[in-house]
Amino acid sequence: MNSLIEYFATDWEAMTVNDWIGTILTVVIFLLMILAYFQVFRPKNRESLESRKHIPFEDEDDAPSGDHDGRP
Amino acid sequence: MQASLEQKYNFDIVRWFTIMAVVYLVLGAGFGVYIASELAWPFLNFDSPYLSFGRLRPLHTNTVIFAFGGCTLMATAFYSVQRTCGVRLWSDKLARFTFWGWNAVIVLAVLTLPLGLTQSKEYAELEWPIDILIAVVWLAFTFNFIMTIAIRKSSHIYVSNWFFLGMMIMIVYLHVVNSLAIPVGLFKSYSIFSGVQDAMIQWWWGHNAVGFYLTAGFLGIMYYFVPKQAGRPVYSYRLSVIHFWALMFGYVWLGAHHLQYTALPDWTGSLGAAISLAMIIPSWGGAVNGMMTLSGAWDRLRTDYVLRFLIMALAFYAMSTFEGPVMALKSVNALSHYTDWTIGHVHSGALGWVAGISIGAIYHLMTRLYHTEMFSERLINLHFWTATIGTVIYIVAMWVSGIMQGLMWRAYDEYGTLAYTFVESVDAMHPYYAMRAVGGGLFLFGAAVMLFNVLMTVRKSVVEGRLQQARALPAMA
Repeated sequence: MNSLIEYFATDWEAMTVNDWIGTILTVVIFLLMILAYFQVFRPKNRESLESRKHIPFEDEDDAPSGDHDGRP
Repeated sequence: MQASLEQKYNFDIVRWFTIMAVVYLVLGAGFGVYIASELAWPFLNFDSPYLSFGRLRPLHTNTVIFAFGGCTLMATAFYSVQRTCGVRLWSDKLARFTFWGWNAVIVLAVLTLPLGLTQSKEYAELEWPIDILIAVVWLAFTFNFIMTIAIRKSSHIYVSNWFFLGMMIMIVYLHVVNSLAIPVGLFKSYSIFSGVQDAMIQWWWGHNAVGFYLTAGFLGIMYYFVPKQAGRPVYSYRLSVIHFWALMFGYVWLGAHHLQYTALPDWTGSLGAAISLAMIIPSWGGAVNGMMTLSGAWDRLRTDYVLRFLIMALAFYAMSTFEGPVMALKSVNALSHYTDWTIGHVHSGALGWVAGISIGAIYHLMTRLYHTEMFSERLINLHFWTATIGTVIYIVAMWVSGIMQGLMWRAYDEYGTLAYTFVESVDAMHPYYAMRAVGGGLFLFGAAVMLFNVLMTVRKSVVEGRLQQARALPAMA
């Protein structure tokens, strides 16, 4: 346990402006990622998000007539 | 129907980029096979500095990454953004500028690199005037893409466009910062960074070129072309959203794992390794999402050769995004770093994932852009097998030689001295270098078959008058 505390020991007095900017950005990005997971997997948002998977098929079909599309 | 699409969208620019991508694939793979052969049979240097490995290796990497990869990305991004937004490109002129500008960069690279004009920064070797041209052309590409999205008819921006856009924005940032240099002549400059900061910036760029250019951009291709070729929507749109944000937030941390056991602070390497491991989750989520798009239609793989390329590429993506984090671990890195294992890892991603997904997308595009079937489906099948077997031979050779190299370098005898001299390890590599050249040669043969098939398809379309008909029909209607 002691070694774990030593491992995470931080000299807060020695933190520079750059250190603080980096630390704050890291925490903010972590929280934004949590928010993204929450929004995406919220059951209420499922239908609206999944409906967007059809966008590539809303355009006109453009396969050439008689096209085997990679099949012999 | 097809004719109206020719009028509605700018397919000309997509056709130009598509054809050039295939030409550059053959050239880039050709350079690669030649330098691989030089390592196996050094007489191929012919005592010429212009043909030496040190000068031709950056020519190979620049041709495959920026010429082949860049043209593929530009073709597919310009095509899919028009199709998913339901509008023509915002500016045809800017698109033409992007095409000629990008090809000018490639010609300048072909001229300067064999002459030894280089900044000596890996994957960013080109000298400062060419760096400026790259930035201008890339910004033109990005601006045109953004403006096309801005004038879209669809209410939502499809996820493939998010990946393309993420790549474009990050590459501007990475390229500009990494290329900051003080010119001392037209073809000579010095990086503004030095020492360990230079190393950190170099690998911040180097790994993010992999993460954003070779991964995010090609995932944009995957999210549009896999569903289109399979004829069914992506398995989970929600997973694709998480895949995107996790990739954007996570990838930028990884660069330091290239600098384990160097003068860089130890914690930066640990952080790079820890986030690398965390990145397995979104990477595998994305790979599974692409593969599960075929759920209920796996039989298509028996008959659809283009789909085979796309799905095999996803298998290589899953494999290399597992292997990378494992190699980032300090204990594994102590063995693997500076060995051929790294080369094997890079090529499982480059040949298996990047080239595989690109080739699949290009075959898909060819039938849409030229309004006819491919000249030969059997040649696509031949290409699939030569590319796959060639890639496997290549990476197996490098895995075996890399691990053997690492073990030989750190073997000690009973007196505590090195068990092998360096030259003994070089000698032990020879059969594997020959094997690598054979694997690469097989891949190159497949690429040449593809170029033949593509050119014959263009000829077929011209002879049948398909493209002319497609362009003319609306005027007659």
